[in-house]
Amino acid sequence: MKEDQAGLIARRDVLKVAFGLWGVLCAAPVLGMILQYITPVAAKAGLRQTTLVGQSGDFAQGTVRIVRVNKDPVLLIHTPGGQFRALSARCTHLGCVVQYQETPVPHFGCNCHGSQFDMNGINISGPAPRPLPPYQVILNGSSVYLTRV
Amino acid sequence: MSSSHIRVWLSERLPLNATETFLAAKEVPRHRHSFWYYFGGMTLFFFCVQLVTGILLSLYYQPAPEHAYESIRTIVNETPHGWLIRSLHAWSAHLMVAMLFIHMFSVFLMKAYRRPRELMWLSGVALLVLVLGFGFTGYLLPWDTKAYFATLIGTEVPKSVPLLGRWGVSLVKGAESVGEATLTRMYSLHVIVLPLIGLLVVAFHVLLNQFSGVSVPAGTVVKRRPIAFFPDFAYRDFIAWIVGFAVLLALSTLIPRDLGDKADPMASAPPGMKPEWYFLPLYQTLRMIPATVFTIDGELIVNAAVGALIALWVLIPFIDRRSARGLKSPLFTAIGVVIIVYIAGSILAGYFT
Repeated sequence: MKEDQAGLIARRDVLKVAFGLWGVLCAAPVLGMILQYITPVAAKAGLRQTTLVGQSGDFAQGTVRIVRVNKDPVLLIHTPGGQFRALSARCTHLGCVVQYQETPVPHFGCNCHGSQFDMNGINISGPAPRPLPPYQVILNGSSVYLTRV
Repeated sequence: MSSSHIRVWLSERLPLNATETFLAAKEVPRHRHSFWYYFGGMTLFFFCVQLVTGILLSLYYQPAPEHAYESIRTIVNETPHGWLIRSLHAWSAHLMVAMLFIHMFSVFLMKAYRRPRELMWLSGVALLVLVLGFGFTGYLLPWDTKAYFATLIGTEVPKSVPLLGRWGVSLVKGAESVGEATLTRMYSLHVIVLPLIGLLVVAFHVLLNQFSGVSVPAGTVVKRRPIAFFPDFAYRDFIAWIVGFAVLLALSTLIPRDLGDKADPMASAPPGMKPEWYFLPLYQTLRMIPATVFTIDGELIVNAAVGALIALWVLIPFIDRRSARGLKSPLFTAIGVVIIVYIAGSILAGYFT
């Protein structure tokens, strides 16, 4: 800021700074509102919702099916021993949907970058950093429900 | 009313003479590297094709998952010349990126970023980011399998960026998984936000070129007299644009852009899926890097490397002090060559493996 010969700050300069600050103060809430508007609202209610995916008879023993839970693909495994297990079908690398592959040994493979998971969802090769997240299977009579763990 | 009358009428209302004097001041030097001067104009030409064909496509396109794929099918199969408009849009995007890369690396190797053209370089880097943004946001719009999974992967990659990664991705995706919100956001970015910013930055870039003139590479001997940009070089540019348009037409008619199966978020990604060639260097790097390197997340390393590369690219005019003094700068030439070789090598490796 310029000072005159007596060392005083000019009134014009003070007004300029004041107007600048006023402009920032006016712009900040507007920008804040825009940021709030464009930030998606998290679907908190749906995250732990229990979803009916079918009747136990729909899933033959020894098969793997992809079912939808809150828009997300989930691997529903009906083991040869009759147990149900469920894992997220989203690869923990970059989110592609993994695929059940029977050879050379049954596993889940991701076509995007070659990650592989064993039947328990443990990452065994490729760039996937974590196992496939498990889902809880709830059997109510013959109805099969899944919920995110 | 004759043209002279129109001119007089306009001169009374617009600074025509001053504009003509301003435009006439620009000259194009002639030397053995002059050929590379055409690629900036070619990039601009394909950008214009993108605007025109994009506006035409937007008349029929519907940005919703239930209708997007069908609307593209309607454009391709039922709308008169729709298949050609879509092919022109897709192929001119490829050609625009290709011309931009050639222009950028020719500018880099000729050290045209040196003082006083630092702002031209910075606006050029901004245009590179914008053009890649155009490619990425436009890719999802057909809502076919390839588009869906490319976007799914592309929006996961920046998540590992500390602090802003997840938030930034959520802004672009609009939801936890790629879906309706993602499509509308991509559409808005692709047809409103990016074109508005792009037009402003292009105007700034071209205006700076008019102010600073065309750069002569350091150490290049210019023996011939320069030619005026208007109209002499502009005519030559125009011929290059006609050649470019002929190539574009040939590609669009002989290899029309295909449309895959409709995206199914529950299905697995098809085997052998790859992004467009200009994202192959990133794709290939992601494939090569292990999940963790010395306990550090592999994606974080790739994001850090991309960030460092962008920072280096932005700062080039300020750290290449030899070029700034008009001297040859072999170190930066070597850096440029290494980057070109890596990009070309990873594109070839990504394409053929």
